[in-house]
Amino acid sequence: MTVRKFRPPNRLAGMIKDRGGVLAKDAVAAAEAGVETLREASMAALDEALGEIARRFGKDAADRDAQPYEVLYLLASKVIDVSAFVADTGVDKAAMSLCGLADSCAETKAWRWDAVDVHLNALKLLRAMGAQLPVEQREAMLQGLYRVSHYRPEEG
Amino acid sequence: MTDALLPSTRINLERATVLVLDDNGPSLDILSQVVSGFGVKQLHRAESVMDAQVLVGTKTFDLIISDVQMPVTDGIEFIEWLRREGGENNRYVPVILVTGHTRTSQIFKLRDAGSNYVVAKPITPKVLLERIFWVAREERVFVECDSYVGPDRRFKHQGPPPGTDGRRKDDLPAEVGDAHMPNLSDDEISNMMRPAKVQI
Repeated sequence: MTVRKFRPPNRLAGMIKDRGGVLAKDAVAAAEAGVETLREASMAALDEALGEIARRFGKDAADRDAQPYEVLYLLASKVIDVSAFVADTGVDKAAMSLCGLADSCAETKAWRWDAVDVHLNALKLLRAMGAQLPVEQREAMLQGLYRVSHYRPEEG
Repeated sequence: MTDALLPSTRINLERATVLVLDDNGPSLDILSQVVSGFGVKQLHRAESVMDAQVLVGTKTFDLIISDVQMPVTDGIEFIEWLRREGGENNRYVPVILVTGHTRTSQIFKLRDAGSNYVVAKPITPKVLLERIFWVAREERVFVECDSYVGPDRRFKHQGPPPGTDGRRKDDLPAEVGDAHMPNLSDDEISNMMRPAKVQI
């Protein structure tokens, strides 16, 4: 097998050092201000995804056994996508755990509805009052979810 | 290898042409807003790999930021295509992949896709700017072989795995061998470190 090693030109390396530009702290502040304008739309998208998860995978969903694992995985991913606005609630981490659970169910080709239900209840609680919960209590809840889903946060 | 990004570091992305790819509209909006906030003027958005491939065929990019989980063709397949078939202008462009969660079955594929860095979602401007700064200044060699095209996947050279000879030409054995020559004397060491006048 032929292995070629080389250093291709990195145009970005030259540009980023060009005269002018902005301080990193100002660039971050400008980006944060821009993102803030998307708060309302992002929260709406987050609640829509959470609502659809509950409708299709909640205890009351009539045909939840027939739902594809992939749908739950993608809906939980959508929650993560816009969850920077609710990072203080733990919703992002609970959604990551739910992704891990959906992935694990897909691998074994079997739903674990008790685990799904506990995630959906946790997401509902965290979305409603996660920011008000004592940090230790919230962390304990998330650790419980990780144990149920076998999600390992350090692996992303 | 690279200096850290400090709040007082000056960066200039005005001339950079950047492609952001994400199939989820709200997520793409956030990504675009962050990149624009960094001062990027030439920002191209794509909501599917197919759209991104068309853009890669017509523009020259300086940075690509792509989601991983996408229907039909995902970000991993896109980067694999880019590294092999993206054309000479774009094949070696720095790529940052963003992902909220990595499926167990995709961990190795993600490592082997050929991206320069993987950033966890939800993205924050500070982390993304740090990674952009990092990929702009990183010095890893590019590796091209039958099974992989992309930056060297080893961020650090820690020698070959224990019990192996290694595959790199410059791999040194883990065991230290006997000295080839006598130790330097104190005077010889002092002479090497003695200040000397130089003509500039």
